[in-house]
Amino acid sequence: MKPKIAFFDFASCEGCQLAVLNCEDILLDILELVDLVEFREAISEKALRYDVAFVEGSIHRDEDIARLRDIRARSTYLVALGACACNGNVQARSNFVAPAVNYAEVYGEAARNRVQVDPEHWPLWAHTRVRPLDAVVKVDAQLRGCPMVPSEFLHLVKSLLKGTQPDFPAVAVCTECKKNENECVFDRGQTCMGQITWAGCNSVCVNNGYVCDGCRGILPDANLAAHLQLLREHKVAEADIRSRYRLFCGAEPIGRGV
Amino acid sequence: MSDFLASLTQVQQWISSLAARYTVFFPTPHGEANYRFTAIGADDDVRFAPYRPTITPPVKLLVPAREELFRFQHKEDGDLLLSPSVDSSFRVIAGVRPCDLKGIFLMDLFFERGVADPYYLARRENTAIIGYACTTPCTDRVFCAAVDSLDHRQGADLFLTPLASGEILVEANTERGIGLLDSTDLPPCEDGPARKIGAIAARPETYGRSFDADVQSLSGIVEQYWDSPLWDKHTERCFSCGTCNLVCPTCYCFDVRDNLALDTVSGSRTRTWDGCMLPGFAQVAGGHNFRPQPAGRQRHRVKRKFEYLPTKYGHGPVCVGCGRCGRQCTVDIDIYDIVHDLIEGGKS
Ligand code: SF4
Ligand code: SF4
Repeated sequence: MKPKIAFFDFASCEGCQLAVLNCEDILLDILELVDLVEFREAISEKALRYDVAFVEGSIHRDEDIARLRDIRARSTYLVALGACACNGNVQARSNFVAPAVNYAEVYGEAARNRVQVDPEHWPLWAHTRVRPLDAVVKVDAQLRGCPMVPSEFLHLVKSLLKGTQPDFPAVAVCTECKKNENECVFDRGQTCMGQITWAGCNSVCVNNGYVCDGCRGILPDANLAAHLQLLREHKVAEADIRSRYRLFCGAEPIGRGV
Repeated sequence: MSDFLASLTQVQQWISSLAARYTVFFPTPHGEANYRFTAIGADDDVRFAPYRPTITPPVKLLVPAREELFRFQHKEDGDLLLSPSVDSSFRVIAGVRPCDLKGIFLMDLFFERGVADPYYLARRENTAIIGYACTTPCTDRVFCAAVDSLDHRQGADLFLTPLASGEILVEANTERGIGLLDSTDLPPCEDGPARKIGAIAARPETYGRSFDADVQSLSGIVEQYWDSPLWDKHTERCFSCGTCNLVCPTCYCFDVRDNLALDTVSGSRTRTWDGCMLPGFAQVAGGHNFRPQPAGRQRHRVKRKFEYLPTKYGHGPVCVGCGRCGRQCTVDIDIYDIVHDLIEGGKS
């Protein structure tokens, strides 16, 4: 029997699901081998059990938690799809600002008052602490990055079809940078998150003249003290360091400053 | 074999002209402060100076960062089809400095002895090398003289030495080297050996960084250390990023994996550079990691370069003193400083 595959999303831009759809040249072949039962971006069918659930987005509200637990309970294998699901992504920056301030900033004073007085809107008000999926449920695999990397998606799909353990080596972006023989960002007089960030993106940002901002999350044994010291030595202001660490990883220990 | 004399301009033009006939790699400026061995065109400007070690060494052309070894297909009748992907196209690598030449010389040993590596050997056999002597230390990181690689010449088809007169002494060491000169009309040089000695004598007396121990004693010194706070000292800031391995001209470790096609019965086997400073390098099936801490990995790396491989192969340190690892480590962990500390520590 073909494995039943489903896609779900929480707080996200759905760009990772789009990145899946962008694997055009092989997508139809994949669809021959699996049974796609839920995918809001493409179909509207529903099923009770899933062999593999791909879950995009970060978790904010109580009802998100309940829904994610339900998906987990009905899935054999659960994949966190993209930076929102793996490390909280940019929306986790809101964890550091009081909700009232955020509301006023985004929707204006009137909206802020409404969520305070209108019970219909209280759940919004009660928002929020942005979390990655693994803060709520067990996650079996993570497809990191903003957006996720198609070659890693394919590797995972093939491994699952074959029944082998997918392999996402815990190495730093620097490793890929050297294999690509990039000039080090520090030689350009800039600073970088590559030393502590999960590789797998093929150092795409540095290949294209930018720096690594850490969208793929922080490596399990990253030497955070050394990185902090390195940025300080390169005269990055404390506020900028904090902001940098929170850009994609506000929900992670590094962003929380622990 | 035979020596010729040429002007710098002649040599530079000749190398450009080779690019019209062959694939020629030359250290080419890259970005703000770096060089890379890059395939040049016949119209490109070939300039020998200034220079600093390329981001990755020229051995990347013999063992690429990623390469396909073979394609495979399991047939339904149980047969397994294999098609190897050996690359035996002819190339020229020009402007190889003595440290990198020594690196290639050592790599030749590593890939020939024991289980010979057909991929490396096919490339190596079809690669002509034009070496270029250094006259001043290229960066303040180098210690090539201290590890005996500054005067390494073996393995080059042609070797170029800039002379005090401004001319270039062209030594042809192989038939293939002479063949590469066939489009030129350079006058022979009768007193080549004397001129080489002169060029060496004209170098600064202390060339780059030096050790307070002679090169033969290094492996014995490093051997004395196992449990030592020095390994911790030199990894306190380490990110385990493996940059020091990946940019090293004598690091040869690789990882092999299969890339399956969607049918899960065919695909390709590839290898990519690996490195002993990477956290999972010594992790085995079942999850045990023989070197879980950076300090243990650093000890292993230094001992490979200065103790294990020198003992095994008998060609001195397997560090050529190019200074790449120290310069490219973002937290300045420099193998020179480590060995320097080991030498100092042994004295007290
Ligand atoms: S380059 Fe530096 S930080 Fe990276 S593994 Fe080597 S010693 Fe450690
Ligand atoms: S260990 Fe460092 S200095 Fe020695 S050859 Fe390798 S990169 Fe060069």
